[in-house]
Amino acid sequence: MLLNGKNALITGAARGIGAAAVEVFAREGANVWAFARKPDEAFEARLSELAQRYGVWIKPVYCELSDTAAIKEAFRQVMADKQPLHVLMNNAGVMGEDRMFQMTSEADMRRIFDVNFFAMVEVSRLATRLMARGKTGAVVNVASIAGIDGDSRLDYSASKAAVIAATKKMARELISLGIRANALAPGLTDTDLVSGLSEKVTEAQLAKILMHRKARPEEIANVAAFLASDMASYVTGQVWRVDGGIL
Amino acid sequence: MTNLEKYVKAFAEALEVPENEVPALKYGESSQWDSVGHMTLIAALEDAFGIMVDMDDIIDLSSFEKGKEILRKYDVEI
Repeated sequence: MLLNGKNALITGAARGIGAAAVEVFAREGANVWAFARKPDEAFEARLSELAQRYGVWIKPVYCELSDTAAIKEAFRQVMADKQPLHVLMNNAGVMGEDRMFQMTSEADMRRIFDVNFFAMVEVSRLATRLMARGKTGAVVNVASIAGIDGDSRLDYSASKAAVIAATKKMARELISLGIRANALAPGLTDTDLVSGLSEKVTEAQLAKILMHRKARPEEIANVAAFLASDMASYVTGQVWRVDGGIL
Repeated sequence: MTNLEKYVKAFAEALEVPENEVPALKYGESSQWDSVGHMTLIAALEDAFGIMVDMDDIIDLSSFEKGKEILRKYDVEI
């Protein structure tokens, strides 16, 4: 198992890639703090079922990531468990309305950056301080190929480019504390986040992909598990495209 | 262990210096207390006292003595 005995924190754990990552990480032997926005019985039932199935613990932690005070309170809950943190997967992300460059307001951009970038930075600051105690850790930031190619909405693409830049900065500074940081850049993935894309846009995206299909969320989560694991011990500061082959 | 003992121990272990040298320490003036050592120190203090230090205080924590003042904000009397 790739993550046996490790404790991981995953944001955006209720849906999409995050939900898949909770299962993949648990399957690979990791205990998980599963961050989600709002208390949800179905979410908690799923976490309990996965914990039982894979013989790990999985704890829900509820937190509105656009609220810095709420992030700190969530970390107080994590710290209260008195368990070391080995892995952080910054997965939570939002996508705004599909607007032209000229039509994207500053308010739109700030709302997207609040979650996709500023919350990611704050969560990373707090998490890596926990990791620093053990002088080991791995951060996996979920960016997007949009952050590299700039082929999506302005606010979303720019926020994911910022995630990539932050990942490289983290990698440079944190390696001396034994912490690796990498970014994952998924392409079109079958999640709620992309379900709002028009048929035309989806078809245009699929045409560029050698595999001619969307990724399943677990296919992204599998790569995250590898990057989080000791199998990737010589990998840091990298951006891993998982896009079905866009050349 | 008293709070002062825990405080000194956190500095000594995080910055890898003998305990008798800890009271004179200032950020940036010793090779051990660089930016990396600083993060290790913050983590050690948070661990020792069960607190979460705010970003402004991380920046302000520039000496052994200043750290005592900052910890008071978190109800930790050294």
